Amino acid sequence: MKINFNRREPVYVQVVRHFKQQIAMNMLEPGQEIPSRRELAGELKINPNTVQRAYKEMEEQGLIYTERNLPSKITRNEQVLQVVREELIMDAVDQFVTTVQSVQVPLDEIVTIIKEKYEQTNADKGEEDHD
Amino acid sequence: MIEVNNITKKFGRKQVLKGVTFTAEKGEITCLIGINGVGKTTILNAIMALTPIKKGEILIDGEKLKPKTFNHITFIPDAITVLPQMTITESMQFMKDYYTTWNEERAQELLSFFKLNPEDKIASLSKGNTAKANLLLGLALDVDYILMDEPFSGIDMFSREQIANVFTSHLIEDRGVIITTHEIGDIEHLIDKVVLLDDGVVKKHFYTEEVREAEGKSVIDVMREEYQG
Amino acid sequence: MKSYFRLTEFELGRFFKFYLVLIGLTIVSQIIGVIAVSKEYMQEANEAIYQDGLSKQAFMDQRGLISLLDWTNSIWFLAPIALCVVTLLIYMFFIWYRDWLGKNTFIYRLLMLPTQRIHLFFAKATTIFIMVLGLVALQVFLIYIAGIVLEWMVPNEFMQTMGVSEVSVASQYVNTILPATFTEFVLYYGTGFMFVCIFFTAILIERSYRWKGLLFAIGYVAVATAVFMSLIFLSMEWGLFSLYPLEWLILQIIIGIIVTASSIFLSYYLLTKKITV
Repeated sequence: MKINFNRREPVYVQVVRHFKQQIAMNMLEPGQEIPSRRELAGELKINPNTVQRAYKEMEEQGLIYTERNLPSKITRNEQVLQVVREELIMDAVDQFVTTVQSVQVPLDEIVTIIKEKYEQTNADKGEEDHD
Repeated sequence: MIEVNNITKKFGRKQVLKGVTFTAEKGEITCLIGINGVGKTTILNAIMALTPIKKGEILIDGEKLKPKTFNHITFIPDAITVLPQMTITESMQFMKDYYTTWNEERAQELLSFFKLNPEDKIASLSKGNTAKANLLLGLALDVDYILMDEPFSGIDMFSREQIANVFTSHLIEDRGVIITTHEIGDIEHLIDKVVLLDDGVVKKHFYTEEVREAEGKSVIDVMREEYQG
Repeated sequence: MKSYFRLTEFELGRFFKFYLVLIGLTIVSQIIGVIAVSKEYMQEANEAIYQDGLSKQAFMDQRGLISLLDWTNSIWFLAPIALCVVTLLIYMFFIWYRDWLGKNTFIYRLLMLPTQRIHLFFAKATTIFIMVLGLVALQVFLIYIAGIVLEWMVPNEFMQTMGVSEVSVASQYVNTILPATFTEFVLYYGTGFMFVCIFFTAILIERSYRWKGLLFAIGYVAVATAVFMSLIFLSMEWGLFSLYPLEWLILQIIIGIIVTASSIFLSYYLLTKKITV
């Protein structure tokens, strides 16, 4: 796992967002174990207390769950997973819309461009494995 | 908790510390930041009773420092504190002889973690390896508090990375750490709390995550405001 | 207590190689010396008897018998002692300053040991003291050995045999380092120990207050010495006391103990409250 942190945003928020993205993209599957607080802190080179805070937040939002003393796992709750997905899509769309609106492009034109782009990227899928 | 209460210190006519107050809690990494010569090292020395303070008081878990306290708090200065002619093994033995809290198992673990050769003489170690051996001797003690003076300065990138890894590992777990630095860059995400020092006083004392959350500022932003604003 | 013994052992170890060199030089020089002195004497005897035609008795009357005193007054005997004395005097300072000025500032470690810091003081003082006593013991042994060597080298008729204590009584130099009676021995070396404490305290004053401290340190040595010598001053200069020798001695011992104790107490205070790395 690798995150490029923004220095001005709470690190725990960025960790939570990263997990949501991974879940939405199916990189983390429902029921999959997540690293311990220390493992993740080591991997991301951040303060373990921050990871702790992020996990607490995710637990509260129902993204992960912990049974007895076992490692925490990604939730299997379909509803939560759906919300995460929607949230992520909404975020992306919001951002996109804001950017595009500032350039004042008509909606029709944008929709056409999006369709073309979508088909094109689907066609190129084979090559595009990195991000 | 380490409580530093309104301490003052003079070197000759120069007043280095003009009433410094802050706390460092167990389980947290507190970072003293300030430009060189601002008195960071002096504060650490004062906590360890390695230099007298003029006024003020320093308490460790509510008590003044006693000889026994050195089994519960350790200081890793910016230069190694064992004799150059000792081998790493000999310096470990020296520590083991005097400290009841020396943890041999952890010492061995640190040896392999840092990839140090125990038969090497301290004097023959590279800068980076000297810093690691220095860290080893401090971290292998089962102490509640660890003070580190500029653990990242003047060493190569890979050694820095290895040392940074220590902070996220169980080697630091649940201990209270105070580290000093004059450049926050590398360790911004490793620390819990910042104590900004300038001109002999604490300019600001804050939790990094709180400042990011409440004000949307990075540690460097806060420093810029405080030092230049 | 355990730390004190450990530290003493450690301090001894740190100077041990040097110390062995001192011991080696002393042995070599003094043994060569006794041989050289004997040879020289026998050469003189041979020249006098065979070339100048003196009788043995006449030579002996003229030159005197050879004894260990000829050796103890020679440079071979005195030079290594002087070397040892100077080295240990320097080391008395170096034993502290090396911890501050060394490349690795060992003083951090020493001051952070979980033990009373005064143990450092005692360990270092003990180290100096043990080294001095070791050299004195070596000297006793070497005088004994020199006596044997002399017997080998010189026909008995030319020789005046002397034991260690006779040498001590007869030689002013030997008497200084090795007084003839046990009481004197204790007094001499007790005084020596006191001065080690005084100088250590002076060093700690300097280490606590640096430049300003240097003046205090010199002042302290002067005051402590003056207090120790006060009886002599008072009785000699003003004749204030008319004490029996024993009374005088006891009073002097008490003053010595007070000066030593004050030094230790002051050092304790400096080490816990004022010392700076």
